[in-house]
Amino acid sequence: MFLFDTLSLIFVALILLGTIPNLFYSFGYLSHIERKRHYLLHYFTFIFSMLGVVTAGNALVFLFFWEVMSLTSWQLILTEVEDKETIKAARFYFIMTHFGFVFLLLFFLIATDGNIDMHFVDMQGIVALFPYPTLLFFMLVFGFLSKAGAVPFHVWLPYAHPAAPSPVSALMSGVMLKVALYGFARFLFDVLYPWPLEWGIVILVIGSISSLVGVLYALSEHDIKALLANHSIENIGIILIGFGMGMIFDSLHLETLSTFAFIAAFFHIFNHMSFKSLLFMGAGSVLHQTHTKNIEHYGGLIKSMPLTAFTFLLASISISALPPSNGFLSEWMIFQSMLGSYNISDTSLKLAIPFAIFALAMTGGLAIACFVKAYGISFLGLHRSDNAKHAHEVNFLMKTGMVLMALVVMSLMLFTPFYIGWFDKMLISLHHVSVYDKMFPDGFWHMHSVAVHGGVVSPLILLASLLGVTLLLVFAYKVLDVKKRVYHTWGCGYKTTAKTQYSATGFAGPIRRFFNWLYKSDEHFHKEKIMEHETKFSDAHYEVHVKPLFETSLYVNSKKLINLVSYWVYRLAHFEQTRYAAMIFNLMLLVLFSYRIFFHAFSWATFVLESIVMIISIKVLIIGDKK
Amino acid sequence: MILYITTIVVLLLLAPLLLSFIKSLKMWLLFKRPTSIFQGYRNFSKLLSKETIVSEETSAITTYAPFLVLSPLLVTMFFLPPVVQGAFYVSFVDAFTITGLISLSTFFLMLLGLDSASAFGGMGSSREAFISALVEPAMVLTVFSVSMMAGDLGVGQAGVNLAAHFPKEHMASFLFAGISFFILLLAENGRIPVDNPETHLELTMVHEAMILDLTGVYLAIIETASSVKFVIFASLFVSLFLPFGYTYAAPLAIFVFIAKLFGVAMVVAILEVNTAKLRLFKVPNLLGIAIVFAFLSLITFYVLGA
Repeated sequence: MFLFDTLSLIFVALILLGTIPNLFYSFGYLSHIERKRHYLLHYFTFIFSMLGVVTAGNALVFLFFWEVMSLTSWQLILTEVEDKETIKAARFYFIMTHFGFVFLLLFFLIATDGNIDMHFVDMQGIVALFPYPTLLFFMLVFGFLSKAGAVPFHVWLPYAHPAAPSPVSALMSGVMLKVALYGFARFLFDVLYPWPLEWGIVILVIGSISSLVGVLYALSEHDIKALLANHSIENIGIILIGFGMGMIFDSLHLETLSTFAFIAAFFHIFNHMSFKSLLFMGAGSVLHQTHTKNIEHYGGLIKSMPLTAFTFLLASISISALPPSNGFLSEWMIFQSMLGSYNISDTSLKLAIPFAIFALAMTGGLAIACFVKAYGISFLGLHRSDNAKHAHEVNFLMKTGMVLMALVVMSLMLFTPFYIGWFDKMLISLHHVSVYDKMFPDGFWHMHSVAVHGGVVSPLILLASLLGVTLLLVFAYKVLDVKKRVYHTWGCGYKTTAKTQYSATGFAGPIRRFFNWLYKSDEHFHKEKIMEHETKFSDAHYEVHVKPLFETSLYVNSKKLINLVSYWVYRLAHFEQTRYAAMIFNLMLLVLFSYRIFFHAFSWATFVLESIVMIISIKVLIIGDKK
Repeated sequence: MILYITTIVVLLLLAPLLLSFIKSLKMWLLFKRPTSIFQGYRNFSKLLSKETIVSEETSAITTYAPFLVLSPLLVTMFFLPPVVQGAFYVSFVDAFTITGLISLSTFFLMLLGLDSASAFGGMGSSREAFISALVEPAMVLTVFSVSMMAGDLGVGQAGVNLAAHFPKEHMASFLFAGISFFILLLAENGRIPVDNPETHLELTMVHEAMILDLTGVYLAIIETASSVKFVIFASLFVSLFLPFGYTYAAPLAIFVFIAKLFGVAMVVAILEVNTAKLRLFKVPNLLGIAIVFAFLSLITFYVLGA
């Protein structure tokens, strides 16, 4: 029934690390929630179902807990039903998660041959006989990556995460997405092994696109929780890049590099859990105090909420992959594994990898821009609204939750070798070679890359030297004993007010303009001109909306198509009897004509003639006149 | 070890001189009466003795960010390739780490710009964020390509390897990487054509806009940071792309190295005199060239092996 191997236990550890700080935070947040019983019931069931998913030993138990996880998180999104948007978001989430569920069910029905309470290990024998393993692979991609939020199944994230209460967003983004990745890893390793080269490339491409798309939409977002949700897409993309590299190396029999890339991916899974949970908690605290999600209405919160501001800064540095944070270390490992593409003998593949490197590096640069925006606009400067003015630090339990999560982030940074030892053991249990000794040949100070010309990073030395130099500088400053005077900001002789600061829209302006081919932004600019002067106005209002490309092209258009089909089905169901008779007549004609075409001589002339007869008869008899 | 420390101290002392040298050379080329090349030191000592004025809108970020802008760059100074053969060098720090440290410094600089609630600071931060986001991929790709030619990703080791064995057989890709890196040097240090360090006009400011509200010691720290950053980039360029003169005796080797740094500064000055600053939205074209050259370098290395 249940399975407790290393892969499962590592994800149990992930869930525990993600939920324990969250419990404190959640109890602190509880006063903000009206339907407490409903919330608590679903909250705890959600946590237990996630634990159930990662320890499930057969398909039936797995699917049961998977579905419980989906349903409870769906109910948790609906905790605060205040506006229609929340209901819409919840419905969207419900549909997307069951879209994935259908594929999982199909996968299990094929892989277990109908005997659904079979152990995962026994499924490999059945799958080995199945003639189309790529079909199964795509079922996994559809099933799990739609839950994990990879492009093009990412569209629900920016709706569902902001709608949920903040502790739940932290859990959903930090932990639930990782549970989906657990499923993906579990069935790839246990059931579908060995992988063809193309699968790895597919995952690499999905990862690269997800990371870029996620960060670009995050930049244009002004709802802080939607911004963070978009960053989840980005980070899932980064994880998938590592995963894809691991798969590619594995199918090319570069075992050490493969293990290294997988360790990088799993390390980033942990890192993303830690900093994204922390960011969502920080966003939740800010939201709790200011009652708005729009970052244009924040500003100056560092003065009233110092602890939140500090933990948010820590998480921002980590998610921007700046050294010596844990986010940097995992991204460094992914870069290093891509550097290992030097060993690939296939030139075209070798030439393709730099494009993934480009995507990852670009993502890193844009993530820095995005978090300077998120942090600078929310926490620095002057208060941009009355809500921000009245904010103060959150209650003790919420602070405890944030501090505990900050400790998790710090522990991932300080005890990197320890965590990597775990992942290494896990990959050994999944029949990969061990690289721990190659990565840490001389103790825990230096982390080596296993790529041929690879580099070395020493997180602890970096941290110590950065802290040391900074403290030395601060000390020198104190010794100098500089006289300090407080004065107002220089604003060309004008007063500095909340309105004269840069806004989040303005901050992202250059990047939005450069990527306008993707954003297709909708600008609304309105000003009350004085005496018809272009440059003199009493009041101005500027708003810009970005069109989500994937949503409009994939989802809205497929919705339109379904609508069209259902309209015709509806028309069909409401025909008069004469029409049905006409249809039967036409069907008979079709059968006769096809019989002649397929079983007797074929000639274009008669084919065209018969087609014309069919079309005319359908048009006249069935469709009739337009009303 | 003594050589290692000496080199770092010399480079640190040299940092303000290089920027002042560019400035006075530019003035001389434009038939103006040049300022002294020691102006950088004069500014530094003047700023140290001044009082600091801090805006009342600022927070703890302004108090600590200047130190955090400078310290990653100072740490990077310790990781540069050796100047003299046989000198100690830190072999274990790789180019991704150095890129990251420079980004960390920029990150705090951008926060500093947003902290004073002034429109200029936000403008500078926004532009800097835009430029550095586009610099990042070019940087990583160039580093990737150079590391393959040098046979090591560690910056110190790469410098040593290139000096010991100049990659004549990979001249084409080496040259492409060099061009790309030089464009990055201009972009990261806010030189013309990306940013004009001498102007205080809001249309053109990038770096200056972020630090408009700083005075006294804080300004001295930031100015030092920008000169240290230039030295880091110049010496990386010199050790990775002009790796000669490394084997000479210690004083001569250091002298040759410094001469090369001045050579880079001279090229930058001549370029600045002869080009106009690009509009902000034309900057991506320049950085796009850097990215394309980095790709070209990788592709020629892989496909032609040249």
